[in-house]
Amino acid sequence: MAPRSSPRKFLQQRRGLTAIDAITALIVVLLVVQIWLLSATLDAYLAGHAETALPGAIVSGVLCAACIGMYGFVRRVDRDSRPNR
Amino acid sequence: MYGYEFYVDPSRCIGCQACVKACEECETHRGHSMINFDFVDRAETIATAAYVCWHCEDPTCAQVCPADAIKIGEDGVVMSALKPRCIACENCVLACPFGIPKIIPEYELMMKCDMCYDRTSVGKRPMCATVCPSQALAYLRPEEIAARREKPSNVFQFGNQTITTQVYMMTPPGTESVTLDITEFMWEKTNA
Amino acid sequence: MPERVEEQERLWRDEFSISKADERYVNRRQLAKFLTLGSLGMFAGNSWILIRSWLREARVYQRRVVAKAGEIPVGAVKLFQYPTPGEQCILIRTAEDAYVAYSQKCTHLSCAVFYSRAHDRLECPCHQGYFSVKDGSVLQGPPTRPLPRVILERSGEELIAIKMEPEV
Repeated sequence: MAPRSSPRKFLQQRRGLTAIDAITALIVVLLVVQIWLLSATLDAYLAGHAETALPGAIVSGVLCAACIGMYGFVRRVDRDSRPNR
Repeated sequence: MYGYEFYVDPSRCIGCQACVKACEECETHRGHSMINFDFVDRAETIATAAYVCWHCEDPTCAQVCPADAIKIGEDGVVMSALKPRCIACENCVLACPFGIPKIIPEYELMMKCDMCYDRTSVGKRPMCATVCPSQALAYLRPEEIAARREKPSNVFQFGNQTITTQVYMMTPPGTESVTLDITEFMWEKTNA
Repeated sequence: MPERVEEQERLWRDEFSISKADERYVNRRQLAKFLTLGSLGMFAGNSWILIRSWLREARVYQRRVVAKAGEIPVGAVKLFQYPTPGEQCILIRTAEDAYVAYSQKCTHLSCAVFYSRAHDRLECPCHQGYFSVKDGSVLQGPPTRPLPRVILERSGEELIAIKMEPEV
């Protein structure tokens, strides 16, 4: 009689699922902030206040780097939970 | 799930077809029975066997489906074909070594047993196992089935393919795996 | 089977998995990837604004005669194009000797503003954005930025547009 290996495999998949759900939610929040930041910077620039461009770009870059970092973390969790793939 | 397993013992089947009728009652498959009911050799014997889907760990039907319509759930239950995706190509019918999937031409859909998922996911027994009077189809805990003389086996050998299933077949004690050579049952061999 | 074919086989079996949990994971991962690309797009947008603000040279405005003094009565308007053809502007004679001019493009969604004599303000019909005639600032409505103003110079009987403020 062969032992059932399925339960453990499924549990690992679920761990990857929880991680990616959390990461996606976090990315959405940061993305919304970035969208607002872009619209606010654009508005200020068009109104003639060009001094907002630099801090806006820096903060946007930090947020973008955070999103990319989190996505890379998800990729790593995936690789760890399914080592043969 | 919940510690229960499904056991099939064809030698106990008395051919009452209660399982067929019970399965038919379910609205989720519109009155079509998902039990594969066999008259083993109707001309020679009254022996019958009732089978459900064996819910293989690596289901051949799902692997060959071109529309990705057959899914395996998180607890290992192989679902029936998804209606939006199934194209009734019958690939799964040809591929399944046990001959379980059935095509319903009116719906253009493959339908098969899904272990009464609406029942087993909340701890109830599948309909067929509930009504079988001889418990040829049984949904029990492993310690309860240990009382029987036959021993459960869930490894099948079909030529080069080794299949491990979630549903157990009751076999004589000491059986490593159920090995079947399909050619031995072919007409040319039996009626040569 | 050659190794490369085996690799491709393994890849599509992973991406189009028969397991529900795997399929859900792949869909989530695709969404996360899409959102991350969106984030990159936002950063690219902000960088573009930054580069534009660095590279922009002070714009040279042409001087153009747009109207003659007394051409329009008090409280009336004249439409003209400045600084380039295609950029509508509106000239308003607010008093006997006072003229103001603004870009006609509403700063909300670029509808054409008109002068409301009854309320003495510039109104945008699209979303009820109102601008002050005195300095183009927003009185109410969705616009956030004031209306760009055309600086006028009076040279004898001629009204000359010399530049836009803020620089657009």
